[in-house]
Amino acid sequence: MKRVTMVAKVDPEICRGCKICEKVCPVYAIHVTDKKAYSEPDKCMACANCADRCPFYAITMVKREEPFDVGVDVSKFDEKEIRDLCAKAHFNPEQILCYCVGTRAEEVAACLLDGATTPEEVSARTGMRTGCTIECIQPMLRMVKAAGNELHPNPDGFQWYGTTVTAWDMPEEVKQKYGSRGFYFDEDRALLDKIAEIRTDNEGGANNG
Amino acid sequence: MADNNLMHAPIMPIAPKPSQYGIDPSLVKKRVAEMPGMCSLKLTELFPELPEVIYPGGPDALDKLYEVAKEELRKVDMSMIKPTDSVNVLASHHGFTLLGGQPYAILLKAIRDVVHEKTGTDNIRLRAGVGMRFRETEEYIKRYELDKHYGPGKTKGVAPVDEGIPIETEVGTLYGIKAIYDADWIIHAHHTDVREVHFHRQIDKAVKPFGMSYARIETRSTYHQNLGPRAANFTARAIFESEFVQSKFAFGAFLNVGPHGVIGVDADNDLYAINDRATFIGCQLYGKIMTLFGDIDECIAVLDFPCPVPYVFSAGVIYANFTGANQDLYDMEGTPLPAYTWYTEAFYGKDGKPFEKSIPPLNPAIKMCVHNYAWTGYPSAFFSEHVPTVVVGQEQADLFDMEPMNIKYMDHAVVAKTTESAMEFAYKVTGTDKVIIFDGAMGGLNCSKSLAELLIRQAPIVTKRVDEELMPKWFRQRGVDISLLEKLKG
Repeated sequence: MKRVTMVAKVDPEICRGCKICEKVCPVYAIHVTDKKAYSEPDKCMACANCADRCPFYAITMVKREEPFDVGVDVSKFDEKEIRDLCAKAHFNPEQILCYCVGTRAEEVAACLLDGATTPEEVSARTGMRTGCTIECIQPMLRMVKAAGNELHPNPDGFQWYGTTVTAWDMPEEVKQKYGSRGFYFDEDRALLDKIAEIRTDNEGGANNG
Repeated sequence: MADNNLMHAPIMPIAPKPSQYGIDPSLVKKRVAEMPGMCSLKLTELFPELPEVIYPGGPDALDKLYEVAKEELRKVDMSMIKPTDSVNVLASHHGFTLLGGQPYAILLKAIRDVVHEKTGTDNIRLRAGVGMRFRETEEYIKRYELDKHYGPGKTKGVAPVDEGIPIETEVGTLYGIKAIYDADWIIHAHHTDVREVHFHRQIDKAVKPFGMSYARIETRSTYHQNLGPRAANFTARAIFESEFVQSKFAFGAFLNVGPHGVIGVDADNDLYAINDRATFIGCQLYGKIMTLFGDIDECIAVLDFPCPVPYVFSAGVIYANFTGANQDLYDMEGTPLPAYTWYTEAFYGKDGKPFEKSIPPLNPAIKMCVHNYAWTGYPSAFFSEHVPTVVVGQEQADLFDMEPMNIKYMDHAVVAKTTESAMEFAYKVTGTDKVIIFDGAMGGLNCSKSLAELLIRQAPIVTKRVDEELMPKWFRQRGVDISLLEKLKG
């Protein structure tokens, strides 16, 4: 769930149509036509990537007159299906995946069960990856893939390139080679597995017992 | 009874800086260090064994540092760089927040000058990576006139969402920022300040930027989400050891920084040799102050420095580390999951409680946080949710409320109109008069006299504990030979 309070605004006098903004937008809300960028207010999730990467400082973030909320109602989906999908990606359903927005794995699972098939759709419908846009890309890709979707990075953009190594596919020879240098590969994997398996109570709170 | 002679007048903190990430400096009306009951402690008096520093120092301290840097850099083998080659000097944002930023800027200037002097090439560029504030190093490049020093078109702030480049590693493909590697050679310009001990745990700290400020989002997310809290920093080593990076790596040049100032410059073609030396500084010098802060029984923590909430610092310890100071962050086995890391934050349920009892709480000694002045640009709601927080000034509260990474920060914090009213509120509610101020005071730390008494009393006890008990354990866990410590002394 995210409350979207800001929107990107392009100054056409300054914009030179370089298209950097298009390439860094996680929800494809900004487009360049006739060498001028235009940000669609209905789609902009206010991450500010376009504003912060514009080489000409042509884009500013301004307060929305009418903020709006995005989010997927988890209660409408089968709890077991949500847990199974999260488990496939090695997450606990209540685990936070996006630190900026506070998106939990269960909401991403619900979004995917509701028909989303790409990272961009998940961002647009949950708000995930519309804060820093950095740290939650791997969990997002893991979840989208776990739902049975193929990942196709945009060949014309820099939105994301692909999945990377996880605790569950770290090569044994690497673990052997570097284990004495302070990396606790297997212990951390065990911790992540333990977290994924914890059951929470019916009210949605964690079971602290 | 504590030695009151060790209490000095407060050190005036770094002035507020104009930035898109903070409020206008004119809105910062009062610094907490100026308020009644505050004093400063000099780190060299708390820990007399700390080495001498070049900076802070006399009026010529920065000139001396420039000369020391050039002298050290001249000893490095640069024969691989030909007069027609291009060179990228790689920098990271955090260096500019240390001791006012000038020392790191001086190092970057010295590198440019000596590389030109020794190799003859003029094609020397600066590529400065960031954390989560994509314009931050652009601001620093202008502020410290690095654009003028490197020349037109030769400096660039780079961000993790910029165009990437795949890097084949022992653990598969990871991704770097293309502009970082768009030269024949790279020079890794960094520092020994420990900063995020909760994340890197002083494992390969010197290598970390290869998995962070020089890396794309995919790699950074691997670090923070895919591997776990004690395996995370392997992403940096994997990238650094790749054939691609090794084919470009010329040398590393580090500002040797302790919690009390700049000790010197360390430049070497062998980054792992620098890394071992940096591990000693990180454990020995910072480890003591970090352990001392863990002995604080109760306090009000004040944020009063121009950088994001978790990065404001006192005596080299960032606020994020203080929120985990109830545990030994250097102990890899005793502290598998620090009280604050992103992994820990992820493991809190919707009821605001950790998934299970083994997940440690944020440092219970922090009774309240007074946010007098700190920046946005880092997801910080976890701190305000779990530490009662008072933010000074509506303008600052509004700035956080409108920032994409912090839309929930003010959901958990209250606003006070002035610094004075915020502190009065904190004293009344918490019942403690112990105050620690994270304002980056150089050479020491600002705090209340009541807290100073505790710190003065505990410092020698902590010194003995770290030297005799903790350091041997910390080094063993990192596979670093402690006998090197004696050689370094020589």
